[in-house]
Amino acid sequence: MDQAVEAKVGQPAKDRVLKARQAHAILALLLAGSCVASLTIGATNTSLWTALAKLLSGETLSQTEQIVLWQIRMPRTLLGVVVGAGLAVSGAIMQGLFRNPLADPGIVGVSAGAGLGAIMAIVLGASLPLWIQVLFGPYLLPLSAFLGSWIVVLILYAAATRNGQTSVATMLLAGIAIAALTGALSGILIYLSNDQQLRDLTFWQLGSLSGATWNKVLTAGPIIALAIALSTALGHGLNGLAMGETTAMHLGIAVQRIKRLAVLATAAATGAAVAVSGGIGFIGIVVPHLLRLSTGPDHGPLLINSALLGAALLLWADVVARIIVAPVELPIGIVTAIIGSPVFLWILLRRRGGFVM
Amino acid sequence: MSLIVTKTSFDIARKPILRAVDFRAEPGEITAIVGPNGSGKTSLLRAISGDIRASGEISINGRNIAATKAAELARIRGVLAQSTQVAFDFTAFEVVRFGLRAGVHANNPDLPHAALSKVGLAGFADRYYLELSGGEQQRVQLARVLTQVWEPVFDGEASWLLLDEPVASLDIGHQLEIVELLRDYVERGGGVVAVMHDLNLTAMMADKVAVMQSGRVLEVGPIQEVINDATLSHAYDCQLRVGEVPSASAAPFVLPQTALPKTFR
Repeated sequence: MDQAVEAKVGQPAKDRVLKARQAHAILALLLAGSCVASLTIGATNTSLWTALAKLLSGETLSQTEQIVLWQIRMPRTLLGVVVGAGLAVSGAIMQGLFRNPLADPGIVGVSAGAGLGAIMAIVLGASLPLWIQVLFGPYLLPLSAFLGSWIVVLILYAAATRNGQTSVATMLLAGIAIAALTGALSGILIYLSNDQQLRDLTFWQLGSLSGATWNKVLTAGPIIALAIALSTALGHGLNGLAMGETTAMHLGIAVQRIKRLAVLATAAATGAAVAVSGGIGFIGIVVPHLLRLSTGPDHGPLLINSALLGAALLLWADVVARIIVAPVELPIGIVTAIIGSPVFLWILLRRRGGFVM
Repeated sequence: MSLIVTKTSFDIARKPILRAVDFRAEPGEITAIVGPNGSGKTSLLRAISGDIRASGEISINGRNIAATKAAELARIRGVLAQSTQVAFDFTAFEVVRFGLRAGVHANNPDLPHAALSKVGLAGFADRYYLELSGGEQQRVQLARVLTQVWEPVFDGEASWLLLDEPVASLDIGHQLEIVELLRDYVERGGGVVAVMHDLNLTAMMADKVAVMQSGRVLEVGPIQEVINDATLSHAYDCQLRVGEVPSASAAPFVLPQTALPKTFR
């Protein structure tokens, strides 16, 4: 019997590593396909393929085709990639940091903090000294959203961590309190705002990729790319943190540094994503969970895979939002919530025992 | 090349937990820390592990641990806590593999399997950690620690295992298996410091023992000198009698003298 056992050793777990690596390639292909779909499907009949065929045969594109592809669909697709990747990666990092699969920027008030930051920029931005307005220009809103999410993550971590153990119950409750507070502050600002600001605000709050511009892509893109690059340095550290801060330290992990980086990356990615798309929920919780089920919880491959799958999933959610009640659009947040809420409940009901609660 | 604790004190909310403790362990020996509940033995181990910032000086192989980076310490000592919770569905193999990257043998992918076999969990590689029993989880963690400091002597320097009740949740068969493993580790030049609960197991496996009470080390020395009626009865505040196992080894054993049934009095 012992021999039979010996023969089994070594295979299954190694398979999971392999699968996680293969998943990089599969998900990259999926993302490429999703980009093509996102560029092709839409209200007008402009197909990516006919446009490409025209370009290759030397014909010039009609003005409509140029505008639809270059000014409308291209930035929208890229914004979808950036926002989806950013939300999924911040979800995966937060879950690692809090050692719990239910942590998500949208659920624990981090998105609300980013939202408050954004609303402050919209309503109070015009009353700031001119030199500040000139200095930050279009970056004022994302920067302020980033600050909002950063402060919330710091408060959450400080409130929920005692002696190196993070209590998720405390974190969720603190998240509820923070969300209520940011809601009230946002309400005050809405009350103070003028008609134009109210209009900006309402559009922003709806949460959609429909307002995509090159400007937004170029604002959020680099911040989220930086956060994802940062996350690649977090894999080993977050794996160690899964066994608690003390054991992580025993393993030689610079725990404080990892925590700071994780908070910074989450806040940057969530802040930038929320600033340009206005709080799209559940991507951060559904994507890492699906990946953990299929390729295991190792944060090394998980973080990159989350970025790839998050981008692809958000593009498809956007396609659905565009065509399901065409010619009008459904806000994308509704689509992600319809997929996301049942998954959230499913995780809650099916989780294995033993999480720090 | 020793583990030296000098005048180390530690308070929690002004209540002294460790009071000017001096302690020393040598490679090639198993040094046990015993004492009643709340005597400070786990705190002493936590101070040595770097978990708590105690006053005084603690050095391992001549390195002051307060001034040494976590990554460097991880290459010369592994730490086993009393129990370790793991978030997410990691398998036993994946948990053990965490030790691989922390230590100096990161390029030897076979180590986790070898370590799992050593703790008697050869068939458990792909089992989920959270679904294992407490004793099995503890052995997985020990395998993780072993993977981290696999060579008892590396680069001319002794490696250390710092263990908090490594066998407390194990049955007697597995206890002996782990004791043998630790003996083998020190015989090949490594050092072991273990907080122990079971005095008989301590008497059987340890070379030296430190007896603690109320945050102080009452006595420290070779088993034969320290394990005696007076010291133990004083430390544990109950009547204990030390006998000798009737065999060539003459290892000591400890029997309680109170709360015996009438027939044995």
